[in-house]
Amino acid sequence: MNFDVTYFLEMIPLLLGYLGLTMKMASLGLVFALILAVNMAVVRVLKIPLLDWLVQLFISFFRGTPLLVQLFLLYYGLPQMFPVMVGIDAFSAAVIGLSLHFSAYMAESIRAAILGIDKSQMEAALSIGQSPLMAMRRIILPQAARIALPSLMNQFVDMIKSTSLAFTLGVAELMARAQMEASSSFRFFECFLAVALIYWAVVVIFTQLQNRLEKHLNRAYQR
Amino acid sequence: MLKSLRNAAVALTLTLATQGAMATETVKVGMSGTYFPFTFVKKDQLQGFEVDVWNEVAKRNDYSVEFVTSNFSGLFGLLESGRIDTISNQITITDARKARYLFADAYVVDGAQVVTRKGSDIKGLADLKGKTVAVNLGSNYEQLLRANDVNNEITIKTYDTGIEQELMLGRIDAFVMDRVSSAQLIKEHNLPFVQAGGTFETIENAWPLLNNAKGEKLQAELNRALIAMRADGTLATISKKWFDADITAK
Repeated sequence: MNFDVTYFLEMIPLLLGYLGLTMKMASLGLVFALILAVNMAVVRVLKIPLLDWLVQLFISFFRGTPLLVQLFLLYYGLPQMFPVMVGIDAFSAAVIGLSLHFSAYMAESIRAAILGIDKSQMEAALSIGQSPLMAMRRIILPQAARIALPSLMNQFVDMIKSTSLAFTLGVAELMARAQMEASSSFRFFECFLAVALIYWAVVVIFTQLQNRLEKHLNRAYQR
Repeated sequence: MLKSLRNAAVALTLTLATQGAMATETVKVGMSGTYFPFTFVKKDQLQGFEVDVWNEVAKRNDYSVEFVTSNFSGLFGLLESGRIDTISNQITITDARKARYLFADAYVVDGAQVVTRKGSDIKGLADLKGKTVAVNLGSNYEQLLRANDVNNEITIKTYDTGIEQELMLGRIDAFVMDRVSSAQLIKEHNLPFVQAGGTFETIENAWPLLNNAKGEKLQAELNRALIAMRADGTLATISKKWFDADITAK
């Protein structure tokens, strides 16, 4: 075994320089995915006619096809049909793709969380004259957020790692850099171990944040 | 009146200034950044044969070259959607590609090469029957191999990256890569590999361009630069720098 420790240690700061780009993609993706997902979940729970059907179709497609296929469709396919779409740069396309893909999963997690809230909560809100949407926003969603958090975090972690697909669109992010460096040094193990540890460390940090957030959201339930 | 005249003068100057700056045309060149020693990254620096050739072309044609790195499988999509002007990643001229794209003149002339581990019983293309042979995803070596394998006796595996690693680990018996870069690979990294037999199929590599007005313009300009670079030996010099050999000679 010849593990080049010096090379490995050199790779870590070099690769860390590209972590910012990866996290920018993931965090923008998270924001857009959450916005989409909450709306889709509400549409599904309230069974709003037509919209409910559209959301089901959306979720079915974006959960039913690989993220890579969606990214290719979005970045290489659609511009052939609609030339104006060439204006979307690789970074934006990656963010859009990640948002759409993960919003489908997140919508289902949020829907499950909403269904987990006892229906007496909705009934009570309706009985005092709130509209279903208002009750959703004020009464149900705040409670559902607590239940949805662990599985949403699951999907966010998956999204962070999925940013590594953006290199196929020409975004030279963390994984791309590791691949490029490895291709000239042939130190595959060192490069990919470095990149694996970086992803892992990021996920560990977010898991810590999740634990704190869970404690915070659980305050009201503690006796 | 005076004010509007002055405004007109400012506008004119601005227009002239922008036109002056426009003279340097931006050409976007796509490459994988993972094909040593043609295009690779070392210590965060994109470099290699392709990069040197383009920097020279840029100097001669007054281009401002912007290198776009993408996974190999994304390169043609980038070209097709007009996000890059050409691909500089040892793209082989094939009939199918010629039907769709314009090509500049070949800048590299090479051949497909079987590479195997030292001591292997594979001595050339004929010995590949019953073996597992790897090629890179998106390359045309699979078609080349199939053309020489009428009875379908070769197991062909396709890889996106790390083909050398797979041969080292013994998961494959051989791989097919172009002669020049495989030689370079073995030498530079002291890999326990040998080139088995001679090259089969001469291949010409060139820059594909979109078949439109800009593509035609670039084709003419690039060919002019290439002819000049061949004539004064610059192309050969760049080749020798990376390969100790002239892979550009026809």
